[in-house]
Amino acid sequence: MSAVDTVIEFIRKQAMEHPEKSWGKITAGFKANKIKTKFLPNKNLSKGYQQLENMMMSLIADSLGKENSYVWGNIFAPCEIMNCFNLKTISIECMSCYLSGYHLEDFFIDWAQDLGIAPTLCSYHKTFVGAVESGVVKVPSYAITTSLTCDGNLNTFRYFQKTKGVPFTLLDVPYEKDEASIQYLADQMRELTQRLSEQTGIPFQEEMLREQIHIENETRKELKKFLKLLMIHRYPGQIISYLYLMMGMHLLIGTKEFLELVRFLVKDIQTYEKFEGKKILWVHLLPYYQESLQEYFNGNNEYQLIPSDMVLDYTGILDEEHPFEALAEKTIENLYNGSYAHKAEILCKFAEDLHVDGVIHFCHWGCKQASGGSILLKEEMKQHHIPMLILDGDGIDRRNSHDGQIKTRLEAFLEMIDDDGGNTTC
Amino acid sequence: MLGYICKYTPVEIFESMGETMKKIEPEVASFQQADTKMHPNICSFAKGVLEDVLDHDYDGIILTTCCDSIRRLYDVLKDEFPDKFIYILDVPRIINDAGVRLYEKRIIEMMEDYRDFSGKEFSEDALEKVLKKIKEEQEPNNITPQKDKIKIGILGARANQNIHKILRDHHVQVLFDDTCTGLERKILLNKEQVFHSYCTGLLSQFPCMRMQQASNRDRLLSEQFSSVDGIIYHTVQFCDNYSYEYAWLKQQIKKPLLLLETDYTKQSYGQILTRMEAFLESLKKTPEKMTEKRKAGIKSMYVMGVDSGSTSTNAVIMDQDRKIKAFSVVRTGAKSGESAQKILEEVLKKAGITKSDLSWIVSTGYGRVSIPYADEDVTEISCHGRGAHYFQPSIRTILDIGGQDSKAIALNDQGEVTDFVMNDKCAAGTGRFLEMIARSLEISIDELGPIALKSTEKIEITSMCSVFAESEVISLIAQNKEKADIANGICHSIANKSYSLLKRVGLREEFMMTGGVAKNPGVVRAVEEKIKSKLHICPEPEIVGATGAALYALDHMMGN
Repeated sequence: MSAVDTVIEFIRKQAMEHPEKSWGKITAGFKANKIKTKFLPNKNLSKGYQQLENMMMSLIADSLGKENSYVWGNIFAPCEIMNCFNLKTISIECMSCYLSGYHLEDFFIDWAQDLGIAPTLCSYHKTFVGAVESGVVKVPSYAITTSLTCDGNLNTFRYFQKTKGVPFTLLDVPYEKDEASIQYLADQMRELTQRLSEQTGIPFQEEMLREQIHIENETRKELKKFLKLLMIHRYPGQIISYLYLMMGMHLLIGTKEFLELVRFLVKDIQTYEKFEGKKILWVHLLPYYQESLQEYFNGNNEYQLIPSDMVLDYTGILDEEHPFEALAEKTIENLYNGSYAHKAEILCKFAEDLHVDGVIHFCHWGCKQASGGSILLKEEMKQHHIPMLILDGDGIDRRNSHDGQIKTRLEAFLEMIDDDGGNTTC
Repeated sequence: MLGYICKYTPVEIFESMGETMKKIEPEVASFQQADTKMHPNICSFAKGVLEDVLDHDYDGIILTTCCDSIRRLYDVLKDEFPDKFIYILDVPRIINDAGVRLYEKRIIEMMEDYRDFSGKEFSEDALEKVLKKIKEEQEPNNITPQKDKIKIGILGARANQNIHKILRDHHVQVLFDDTCTGLERKILLNKEQVFHSYCTGLLSQFPCMRMQQASNRDRLLSEQFSSVDGIIYHTVQFCDNYSYEYAWLKQQIKKPLLLLETDYTKQSYGQILTRMEAFLESLKKTPEKMTEKRKAGIKSMYVMGVDSGSTSTNAVIMDQDRKIKAFSVVRTGAKSGESAQKILEEVLKKAGITKSDLSWIVSTGYGRVSIPYADEDVTEISCHGRGAHYFQPSIRTILDIGGQDSKAIALNDQGEVTDFVMNDKCAAGTGRFLEMIARSLEISIDELGPIALKSTEKIEITSMCSVFAESEVISLIAQNKEKADIANGICHSIANKSYSLLKRVGLREEFMMTGGVAKNPGVVRAVEEKIKSKLHICPEPEIVGATGAALYALDHMMGN
């Protein structure tokens, strides 16, 4: 067992045996990993992904290590607004991912289910509920969630308002995409600034928000360049690198440091050799722990993953002059909002523009909104002659997905696209 | 005719436009069509609605943006029926002026689309007429609690008709049904602003879990709790919204609370029947004080309890002094009726009596309703409680693992059931699962436990699903792992499942294990390690349920 594994095992045991006394060890572990990723980065990663990993470890380590420096959010909560109050946003989905680094997800999930939480609920939410209810995770003084994109959001945050007294703001994201919906959501966002101002004692400055919107537009522009370059160059990464990129695009968007990082990705990738293998567009969450997927996509010369909907879920340009309306529009126009037909159409276009060799849609356990549309997406891809595979599994709970079954499906799919890249769906 | 499902659907608007509206209440045989058009892990209600729509000729379907599964249902229906009026109405989650404004706007847009589809026009006058009529017909909702009846409240996700039917059949009074199907529509009628007041009333109904206003909900609920004996909390398979409220209520309220999950298939009727009957039996509180209440004059008498399980059929004959006269265990064959006849003959022979000597027969178990000679049936949950208390009065928690289900039952010091949870939907953690694994290991089921005790290497079977677990075992066999170690891993996998059930009813000492799997020393050891306590195992753990049934029969004869 390596030194890192020994530390992980020690913290895991401590959390399971003395949940209420383990928070310090959990955060110390994150800090240690932050230092490790800075001074001993993973050699299998490209420089850009090394920096990304360190940035995402710093986010969690620095935030959780300092009381009142962060709020809980969901992945679509507008971190740009929180940034105006010097608050970091720690999304509960991402927090579950970080905690699974200690292999604690099964302990937390069982804890939540023992309380009566449905076993069929999304594993990220169950992990988080168990982590807080067991006493391992300390609660912050405020939380913000959107109704986008899953039913679990409002329910998880409301549950903790009741059981742990964590006040929260719900941003209700309308389904329809029009001016009335934008105003409805923009007004809620304005109200959120008042709440956060009361909470922190910091007055809100709209200029700061405008500045972030400006940076955000730049970041998205650079990201689009990077995704196109991913089609040309082999850029060594791991499945978790794409998760980190997704987290950055949602939790650090609008910050200068993240813009600089994406700019570096664009510069760095161009120093790498041409990629001659197959390009696979990945739709929805990534089970970073799955052995077979790691075998094919972690540093493999023959296949390269192209992240899609989770990283670039909005493609427009935000209006800096009207920051609230711009953020509202971004949220409403998000790929995950509205009808699935709209999402399927955009993903097909994305796949065609990038000339990918195949698409894999991952159906994460408990995620009804994604799984429920997977067959429609398959049909749409079929019409565009793009091979597509639906994989069932779990983004975080290893017990819910069987590697042997995933391996068989994945290999059969890759064999098929290796043959001719023809019109195949499975 | 338009179909709809959600209480936030402006049904009256369509009626005022001359349309017939039908609330869809699916009850389907399978999800065969739905599973090919949606993913199998979508909420059973949404899949049931899809089956219903595919099988009936609606002109259109009105859905709302109520949850993830229904949003995807809309996508599938829209794709499937491009020529029908398939509409999704966006319902705001926030009930304030802005929410009402947006809701009104969305309803107007819907009416315009419907006008274009049907040629029917909307008028406020017509709506006013419809609303007036409804208000006149609405009766005041004052239900007076009846003393002689068990009083129940229903909460959670939409309660289907089967739940109400079972309650009616058992003469239970439902004091409130706060699910979407039980609530009366809130009709606000302001003659100056008919449309606006109607929309305001509809949006401010008793909120469901997708709405932000949950605090209102909590207050309204707590006001209702005092009047009922127990609460049935209904959830739908793969609908997770309500489990949060259940988890919270379970910590908050003292009233008996039954979590009842259904999946809208006809087959689930049997499963919900057992749970509901067991719950109602636990509310009746039959104290075990027979000796005090025994009627004078009864000198000699025999009763019988028969437990018809999926693997074994067990019978116990008991005399008037609560002494077991004879018992018998036979394998349940393909027909439970035949096994029932066989065991009757066998146990009577052992007792040396004839059927006419039996004063009362109580059946229990999965096949309890198929025992032709039984006078009464009681659920296996109550019977296991009584039986366990009979053999060991200090027992407070029972783990029963049978052929096709497993359950944890909490008892009070009187042997009455205070809580229970069941797993009868998934083979993992049941006797059937052990049989599957024994077959893969090429050993007999009786050998699996003793072999597990010889294990020297710890192997963890992580898969939660029995199919996955079997694949995992086959992989381990391919890796040349020792049978003893794999068997022990399986025993621990069962123990982990069982621990989860036991924890949900409170883990109170002392513990008893019943059912056929209690004879497996490997599982017993693994469970004991997990709960860090001793399990009482009766010499014949399979007859605990039948003993409980015999005690119920004796109760009947003693006039209890």
